[in-house]
Amino acid sequence: MDNIVITGTGIISSLGAGKEETLEKLRTGQRGIGPIRHIQTKHRDLPSGEVEYSDEQLKELIRYQEESIITRTSLLGRVALKEALEEARLDGTEGLHIAFISGNTVGGMEKSEQFYYDFLHNNSRNEYIAMHDCGACTDIMAKQFGGHFDLITTISTACSSAANAIILGANLIKEGRVDIAVVGGTECLSKFHINGFNTLMILDKEPCRPFDADRHGLNLGEGAAYLVMETEATARKRNIRPICKLAGYGNTCDAYHQTATSPNGEGAYLAMCQALKSSGLRPEDIDYINAHGTGTGNNDECEGIAMMRVFGDRMPPVSSTKSYTGHTTSAAGGVESVISILALTHGFIPANLGYQTPIEGHNFKPVDHVIENVTLKHVLTNSFGFGGNDSSCIFSALDTETPAPMQASEAGQCYIQSAAHVSIQQPIGDDWFHNPVMPAQAYSESIEPDYSKYFAPMAARRMGRLLKRALATAVEALGNHPVPDAIITGTGLGCIANTEKFLTAMIDNQEEFLQPTFFMQSTHNTIGSQVAQHLKCHGYNCTYSHRGTSFDSSLLDACLQMRAGAIGSALVGGHDEMTPAYFEMLGKIGYWKSGDVSPDALRRADSPGSLSGSCSLNMLLTDHSDADTLCRIAGMDMLYQPSDEELRSAADRILHQAGLTVKDLDAVVTGLSGDRDNDAVYRTFLQQYCPETPVVWYKHLFGESFCASAFGVYAGAVCLHKKLIPSHLLYNTSEEISNPKHILVHNHFQNKDHSLILLTL
Amino acid sequence: MKELIEELKTEIIDVLNLEGMTPADIDENAPLFGEGLGLDSIDALELIVLMEKNYGIKLANANEGKEIFKSVKVMAEYIKEHRTK
Repeated sequence: MDNIVITGTGIISSLGAGKEETLEKLRTGQRGIGPIRHIQTKHRDLPSGEVEYSDEQLKELIRYQEESIITRTSLLGRVALKEALEEARLDGTEGLHIAFISGNTVGGMEKSEQFYYDFLHNNSRNEYIAMHDCGACTDIMAKQFGGHFDLITTISTACSSAANAIILGANLIKEGRVDIAVVGGTECLSKFHINGFNTLMILDKEPCRPFDADRHGLNLGEGAAYLVMETEATARKRNIRPICKLAGYGNTCDAYHQTATSPNGEGAYLAMCQALKSSGLRPEDIDYINAHGTGTGNNDECEGIAMMRVFGDRMPPVSSTKSYTGHTTSAAGGVESVISILALTHGFIPANLGYQTPIEGHNFKPVDHVIENVTLKHVLTNSFGFGGNDSSCIFSALDTETPAPMQASEAGQCYIQSAAHVSIQQPIGDDWFHNPVMPAQAYSESIEPDYSKYFAPMAARRMGRLLKRALATAVEALGNHPVPDAIITGTGLGCIANTEKFLTAMIDNQEEFLQPTFFMQSTHNTIGSQVAQHLKCHGYNCTYSHRGTSFDSSLLDACLQMRAGAIGSALVGGHDEMTPAYFEMLGKIGYWKSGDVSPDALRRADSPGSLSGSCSLNMLLTDHSDADTLCRIAGMDMLYQPSDEELRSAADRILHQAGLTVKDLDAVVTGLSGDRDNDAVYRTFLQQYCPETPVVWYKHLFGESFCASAFGVYAGAVCLHKKLIPSHLLYNTSEEISNPKHILVHNHFQNKDHSLILLTL
Repeated sequence: MKELIEELKTEIIDVLNLEGMTPADIDENAPLFGEGLGLDSIDALELIVLMEKNYGIKLANANEGKEIFKSVKVMAEYIKEHRTK
């Protein structure tokens, strides 16, 4: 396997649109920090890195002519995406497999916060309801590409989101799943974000001064940046000249506190070490560190300590370019990767603006002015997020020696060892298998277990119910097994009960008296990082927020890494909650049935909508099996907008790789739910691919939610383990099936995102 | 003063969601952070909101809380002196 190279980059931030403007500002030391102009907030005097273009001007930049509404998050993303795709000369005619992975946290919040009470009380802004979540923002960005992305997903690990998109992209290329990965992140400023960070009292009222003894916090920014990555061989074939290499990367979890870094910067230290190890480089090979350097008391002190642990007294030049752009949160990993690449290719080091006095205990001084005419061979960039989601990436010049990445071994196995859930069925175990609860209406509350056996009330004081569910199911799924190598979480919306609390308080109290707890918990990666904290797991940690395939994305990430032998075990979860307000909003856009939701009614239904559910499910994946193992994941894939034929051949490919054919399938698990359009997609696949195979469904028991597909996998696994498919799970026959051995799980979201998962004994 | 201390204890239990605790469980002289009640930096931020919302006291930065939140008694004394509502 040869090196992974970067063949295109695109960027927009408060420094300007595009690399040219960015470069000019970086080299002349001009900050992009000023008062807020576009957002109607009380805090307009807070210095921020707002992109100067209005939404309308952004649309002009990309000649946006589509009819669909689009959020600022997506607009910013598309400006950067356009530049990256053009530079890499990707126009859709390459005939290659291409993934699009975008990091994002606030999604359409900047619109939701304006229209929240319209969503609830009238029908004037209904079109924005479905634009709220992170995955929707990625989906509408995908249209910027003239061709077809084979796979798209959204990563939401707060301020390290874009860095983790780079890491997933690299893993997909290494695994041979795609030829090219377009990766990065986007985030726009919102009142929600400004007020949220304000409750944490970490916003500086002056332009920020990272690594300065007299620093008083960060300036929020907005922006987007994307990179096109491929192997050297692919670039050669496409006759395109690479810009630089992605030499290495690391993802770890600090597992310490939701908003604070551990005093010795353990997660940051481990992420940098891992990046160095994977690149085959020594600390002294690094010529420049683009630090996370937010300007908060805690981050800069601890990041400095972590860097000192890695680099000792041979600290390379360090600067935080957040002093130019502000903290672009989810986009930061992309923005700072592109800035690092600009530094690498143009031979300069951007300044750490505003720096004067070293922090006590630090043995280094950041670069306080722009340094020109330097030769940079290897640049390391740090991206750390809430919850301790820490990632580091190393970019290297083309003419350097870095070991080629390891070809994936393809030898690793992947078993579902155990699983536990909290849902509208009896919690934790598999009671539902013999005694299912039949939902009586479209809205049902989850049945909560007794949480006191999992954690003390003091530890639970800041946990919303979704966090409690996630933690309890993690503890149960893990049982007596050792701490897993990775924690990978899917959540379409995160802890929305808390998001709603913060949002309504912000609107009702005119941005005053807001509670930090609700803001912190609205960040989607709170779930995965809280589980890591509880289990003290410093391993790989990632969160996917991509609508109906959030869980599937997590599972794919875990399976890829297990097959490659990179990890031996992973806790994989799907977590989403329903609230009365969100239920009402989704009801307006056809999500729910108004009457009978009995299985027979759902089977007969010729109308939109289904019943809602809440989902909190954790499963433990291991690379070895024992007597308790539920089943093996023999193969899986995710596809974006596949044709009917592409979907069928993907299923064939997965079965073939397991030495099976469609005739070997004992059942297909589907997300049939009574929703007319949704069901039609499943029926088409079933009729074309396996008309004779018995069909299993589960949404009549567990309801619909962004992570509902977790129950599809879970139901299939339990049936294999119990050697029985009970009649209440069967869609088109009432005769139970004994001794099933091979089950295919098919999930789709609005016929855009599909996943296929093959479970065998 | 005694009344304010009791009032504060109830408010702290409520705003920090200290399930299962009663005002009697909080020693007015015990440290709120670290040993003692075992609160952390986020709790401190919540207490800052409480002071602003209920007593009209606005702190400019989180560090000021360190002295004020030493114990419920110290907090009450500070509130008594600085409250605007």
